[in-house]
Amino acid sequence: MQHSVTFTYDDRQAQVTVPTNTLLSEAARLAGVEIGQPCGGQGRCGRCAIQVTGGNVRRRSTLRLSTADLEQGYALACQTVIEGDATIYVPPQEKIERRLTTDRVVAEVSVPADYDYLLCQTVRRLFVSLPPPSMDDQTDDWSRLQTALRLQHSIERLTCSLGVLRKIGPVLRQGEWQVTAVVEYTQPPDRSAARLIDLLPGRLDEYAPLWGCAVDIGTTTVTLWLVDLVTGMVHAQVAEYNGQIARGEDVISRIIYASRPGGGEELQQRVLETINGLLERACKRVKSPDAPLTPQQIVKVTIAGNSTMMHLLLGIPASSIRLSPFITVVNHLPPLTGREVGLAVHPEALVDCLPGVASYVGADITAGVLSSGLDNAENVMLFLDVGTNGETVLGNRDWLVTCACSAGPAFEGAGVVHGMRATSGAIEEVWINSETLEPTYRVIGGGKPKGLCGSGLISLLSEAFLTGILDKGGNFNLAAPTPRVREGAHGGEYVVAWGDETATGEDIVLTRVDVDNLLRAKAAIYAGFTVLAENVGIPLESVERVLVGGSFGKYINVEKAIQIGLLPDMEWSRFEFLGNTSVKGAYYALLDWRKRERITHIARRMTYIELSADNTFYEAFTSALFLPHTDLNKFPSVAEALSRTHKKSEEEAPYATRADTNLS
Amino acid sequence: MPLEIPKDKWPGSVRTVTLGAAAAEGGTRTKTVTIGGQTAMPYLHFEASPPHPPAVAVEIKSRPPEDWSPLLLEAWGELVNDPAAWAKKAEEIGADLIVLALTLADRPEEAVNVVQSVLRATGVPLIVWGPGQAEKDNELLVPVAEAAKGERLVLGICEDKNYRTIVAAAMANGHLVQARTPMDVNLSKQLNILISDMGMPKDRIIMDPTTGALGYGIEYGYSVMERLRLAALQGDAMTQSPMIVTPGFEAWKTKEAKVGSGVPEAWGDWKERSVNWETITAITLLESGADIVVLRYPESVARVKQAIQELMTA
Repeated sequence: MQHSVTFTYDDRQAQVTVPTNTLLSEAARLAGVEIGQPCGGQGRCGRCAIQVTGGNVRRRSTLRLSTADLEQGYALACQTVIEGDATIYVPPQEKIERRLTTDRVVAEVSVPADYDYLLCQTVRRLFVSLPPPSMDDQTDDWSRLQTALRLQHSIERLTCSLGVLRKIGPVLRQGEWQVTAVVEYTQPPDRSAARLIDLLPGRLDEYAPLWGCAVDIGTTTVTLWLVDLVTGMVHAQVAEYNGQIARGEDVISRIIYASRPGGGEELQQRVLETINGLLERACKRVKSPDAPLTPQQIVKVTIAGNSTMMHLLLGIPASSIRLSPFITVVNHLPPLTGREVGLAVHPEALVDCLPGVASYVGADITAGVLSSGLDNAENVMLFLDVGTNGETVLGNRDWLVTCACSAGPAFEGAGVVHGMRATSGAIEEVWINSETLEPTYRVIGGGKPKGLCGSGLISLLSEAFLTGILDKGGNFNLAAPTPRVREGAHGGEYVVAWGDETATGEDIVLTRVDVDNLLRAKAAIYAGFTVLAENVGIPLESVERVLVGGSFGKYINVEKAIQIGLLPDMEWSRFEFLGNTSVKGAYYALLDWRKRERITHIARRMTYIELSADNTFYEAFTSALFLPHTDLNKFPSVAEALSRTHKKSEEEAPYATRADTNLS
Repeated sequence: MPLEIPKDKWPGSVRTVTLGAAAAEGGTRTKTVTIGGQTAMPYLHFEASPPHPPAVAVEIKSRPPEDWSPLLLEAWGELVNDPAAWAKKAEEIGADLIVLALTLADRPEEAVNVVQSVLRATGVPLIVWGPGQAEKDNELLVPVAEAAKGERLVLGICEDKNYRTIVAAAMANGHLVQARTPMDVNLSKQLNILISDMGMPKDRIIMDPTTGALGYGIEYGYSVMERLRLAALQGDAMTQSPMIVTPGFEAWKTKEAKVGSGVPEAWGDWKERSVNWETITAITLLESGADIVVLRYPESVARVKQAIQELMTA
């Protein structure tokens, strides 16, 4: 029986007559309407969604559509057959670039609702009016200032550095005894003890920005947020690879490098340069009507980072971290100043290094736990930091256990031939057509691709696996019928983008070595949390939510991450992607002393489990070193996807032939 | 009160695998060898006797070996220059299987010729190893597989980085494959999955978990084999293949077997020591579940076969 199908697209219409059971995608092709099918018409990618505005169709699969989509008449063109006359609306291309039901996008940063500068902030700007000295009142300048701050702001104990002392005389006179003091309350909530950070002449606008910044020093990536402490608003977010990468990719090789003569100083210098460069960049982003913002105006810095990064930043010998019994020199650091640390911020700025738990569970994780809210959770949750060091925390408001394993920098785009950070030009998503093995990709910023970021690598690895380009061991199938799979310098490789479509003019490829690095990274992370859960006797299924942190992109496709065996096979709705949780935790601590105290509390109550104590981790690691895992029973949804992919390609071949016959 | 020995009941069993094909099955072998089928841990007769005894294979080379101990060369004498005669002799002294190791110097047609001449000279099933270099293995084993179609050879050695070509050749020509992984339960399992994923029937895969000689890491090999066998009996389909190990190769690498002079006198007679090293390594591995042991020294064959007879007696 023949049916008439009318397509509406770009304000145009096309009509075609097809027999019952013709696929919508086939009807569209016959009508000359282009519908992209990145996955090759297997219903895997959801990119061919169209809207059925009238008539009879049957949806064979609705895998990619939400209930709301279905209510609005959406259907997948490649999975929907015609059973009667129908009218179809084809949405424009940009609408097809929709997020999938499995995508988890990082929420925009918003100032915590409970942030009140006057109550929460430890660094404050206080206006002081001093009685000018006279022959009757020969009190020295410092005592005069102290007295004024006591009388006007209840500060009983005021301290300051020699640098500030040198400055106060001229400033008091320049301001004609009307000055603005920048102080740090050293024992919040007590307001009677303070340290004078700076003294400025005159009365400053109370609501003018007061600058602070939150920093996460990752082994691979350093991230910095520039914050106005008065409003709590983040004005700039910048990130750069850690300059120390040139001296080793993981913490162990950094520690070894640091113990060579001059090595520690060099590493310290390298990370300081990275941070100072980021400070410059962040300040330039702030549009200021008068004088441009300079890093010297930043008066408070809160730093998160793993224990090794913290030691290397501060020039503290880190060698004991590497050697049994694996201890740090210091987990809870005292307050420091910009000058001491060597940051390009105000020399008297408070530099607050957040506390760590152990050698391999540092302040990045305590800050991460804070920002993820794990320490307040009622039910058991799992927090994964997908970074160079794969740390895992399991627990709730009553207990927290943690472990760490070395995953390598692959998911941050380092240690991968065409890897890059998740910035403009990075391929962040890939689909591979399972019949032609041709890729479709999405680039951050929309221009020509420069490389692949973490989320792009995850989706590429998963697609290459599902389409049979890679076998379960990560070997390229060189017999795959496409010129994109070829022999490279170190084994097989897959060309994601040919030179003529890239920003560099070079082919963007995924190599065998990259695959190995990615497999090791995902296996370490998977093994880490499975062993941790086993250790405390909590079955993974009973974990209510899985909170994923990591700086590999703005979003993660949970399904792809499960397909490569990075995340456990659970309902997609149980995952939440939080992005860089470490810098976010530092940001919260920067704003609010109560959050800062909570981090100290978190650090004190976390129980650290040493994975190197026996061979269970190694066993779990080697069994995870496979796609998706040696034990496929642990990944039922992937087993199903694999059988679906194979079955579909067999099923659909005869169908295509039938459609062709009807055409002639 | 009589003591009751507790018995384990296992849900799984080792897969039964037959090597070699007689004329009726499309081959030319006068004997075939069936291994596997165990339903209990090795030789626990009170639980279940193994249905088939383990097999002893003798390793020969397509060209005179250059790095073998002088004791081995002395024992085989002129035979090392004639693989067919060498294989025939090995069969005469009791080898259940022949392992023919090809070398880097062999050209494809030479490899085919030597395989065919060994097949003509013997009636036992044949295992053929490539020289152990991916490209060369593929170059030699593909024509060998085609020339010996239907013989149910075992082709080896498949490793995780190079298995596709060998497996494809074995599948197309009715042979079996030997899958080697470096002493790790997960890796063994993974390679089995990769090979099965290509469509190779599971009863044509033999696992080679790799081992070490006595005093050179045998305990690691032993433990891996034991755990593989436990997993197999527990029902894990990807660990249920029978196991082949190479105690001859391992033992004859050791200093104790290789070196005859300049060693402490307490080490005793060189030959006796070397043969002991090989046989004790082999018998230990049988105890951990080996289904095929590959030996090198003629006298070891008889000793190991004697031990097998004793192990098989309830």
